[in-house]
Amino acid sequence: MATILIENLTKVYPPTPTYPQQVQALGGVSMSVTGNVFVAVLGPSGSGKTTLLNIVAGVEEPTAGAVRVVQDGVPAQVGYVFQEPRLLPWRSVLDNMLYVQNRKSDRSKREAEFYLSMVGLSDVAHLYPAQLSAGMQQRVGIARAFLVNPDVLLMDEPFSHMDALTGRSLRDYLQRIWAHTRKTALFVTHDVGEAVELADRILMLRPGGVVFDDIPVNLQRPRRPDDAAVRAVETEVLRRFDSMEAAVRFGDQRN
Amino acid sequence: MSYAADLPTAPEFSQAPGTPQSAPAQAVHWTRKPWFINALAVAILLVVWQYLNSVNERVPSINEVVSFLGVELGGGSHGGVSRGEFWGPLSISLQRYVIGLAIGVPVGGLLGLLIGGSRRFRSVLNDTVLVLLVLPSVVWAFTASLWFGIGSTAPVVAVVLTAVPFMAVNLSSGIRGLDPGLALMSDAFRVPRLRRATHLLVGGALSNAVTGVRLALMTSWNSLLIVEWFGTASGVGWRAKHWYDAQRFEGFVAWILLFVVFITLLDWLVLRRLEHRSTRWQQQPTLTFAEGEVT
Ligand SMILES: Nc1ncnc2c1ncn2[C@@H]1O[C@H](COP(=O)(O)OP(=O)(O)O)[C@@H](O)[C@H]1O
Ligand SMILES: [Mg+2]
Repeated sequence: MATILIENLTKVYPPTPTYPQQVQALGGVSMSVTGNVFVAVLGPSGSGKTTLLNIVAGVEEPTAGAVRVVQDGVPAQVGYVFQEPRLLPWRSVLDNMLYVQNRKSDRSKREAEFYLSMVGLSDVAHLYPAQLSAGMQQRVGIARAFLVNPDVLLMDEPFSHMDALTGRSLRDYLQRIWAHTRKTALFVTHDVGEAVELADRILMLRPGGVVFDDIPVNLQRPRRPDDAAVRAVETEVLRRFDSMEAAVRFGDQRN
Repeated sequence: MSYAADLPTAPEFSQAPGTPQSAPAQAVHWTRKPWFINALAVAILLVVWQYLNSVNERVPSINEVVSFLGVELGGGSHGGVSRGEFWGPLSISLQRYVIGLAIGVPVGGLLGLLIGGSRRFRSVLNDTVLVLLVLPSVVWAFTASLWFGIGSTAPVVAVVLTAVPFMAVNLSSGIRGLDPGLALMSDAFRVPRLRRATHLLVGGALSNAVTGVRLALMTSWNSLLIVEWFGTASGVGWRAKHWYDAQRFEGFVAWILLFVVFITLLDWLVLRRLEHRSTRWQQQPTLTFAEGEVT
């Protein structure tokens, strides 16, 4: 069973020539995620969501605090879906899949084809990424993340660059493929409806990278974005967000 | 554990996204076809040449040049004891050219990888390579001749020194232009070092490398000719100079023509094809799909 344990995580970016002030991206985030759960991290842009995922993925160093991502006591295999598809433009779709595969064999090719079929892309495995629409490229990104047989799945606003209709159908793909594999998932988004539709639990971040709420979502799957129950939770989440904002603003005025 | 093994097929997921529709090939009018434009350029050149010949007697006529070429190629007599020579000088020059490139292209490529991939190497080497790049090949020609005297070393060195900066500059800028997001992606998926080097670095910079090779080949051919002209007693450059010194301008022009033909053929038959292949992924039209997907 996979566990993500985050303790008092802080990230401060030093000043840069273009922005001569240090930026606190994460201000002491703690959370613990265990088992086959889908957790959404919800926050406005600039609240440190990408930074958080990059640190969990081990591609960025925290300023302070600790992160442990383990599967049965050993470091967990991570699958990452980025905000942009991030495919090698000069390799075919299938070769892009094989690029991240940790074993090379006939089986790995079969698995790559299997996950491409899961996202409805069997017919385009031989094409270059530029030949696909943005939505199809992101589907390759999703299939790629599942291909490495991840213990933990990280997703960084994977649908935010899509138009609403494409995003809707991609969320559907993701729900189905996730229901099938039930990987421990950390899904970052600024879209409340998306968080409620997908997650078992929503962690809310505010600017400065501070968790201010942790909301369980106990709804049946599969969910549709227009289900009344989904809408109700969405309203509740928005209400909490508003009260957080009001509190922050009120605090500002008193200073 | 493997999910593909559990589920060899996934019929419920495999709603295929329609069939790709390739764009209809557009008909190009024959006056815009490359062969027509090339033929037109050659025709204009010949007309201008013939005109120059009519106004200046030192410019040889097309006829004189062609018949000179015939003698030179066939090994016949140019009058007196002088005999036609073509394959001898050509094979000597080609040998120098190939050896020089066989050293210069990989060395330049390696420098390009280092400069593009490592900040430390960049600060040390970048300016050196730029200096090499901006110095005209004439400088190499004279320097190499001074250092190595008459023989095959000077032309080979000149070819190397010309090829290196073209390779290094093109390859390093190709690598520096790579999307850092792709490196981060490779980090996140723990892609092994070797696969990363071949698929990310080489794959991404391949089209730049081919452009570098193309420029290196063309420019170092010029360097070779200049060194042979001024600093050797063999090769095609020397042969052109020989006729120039003998005031046989039809011979001089004939050899210049051969140089041009050589480099043009090389470019058409080899280099452009390579370049086209290496940039194939950029040239594909985006396909539209019959699926209800808005893009
Ligand atoms: N490499 C960086 N250097 C400096 N500041 C950065 C860097 N990356 C992110 N930041 C800053 O950190 C804050 C959080 O960024 P990010 O994690 O990308 O937020 P989000 O993904 O929630 O939009 C932002 O203010 C951003 O400008
Ligand atoms: Mg972000």
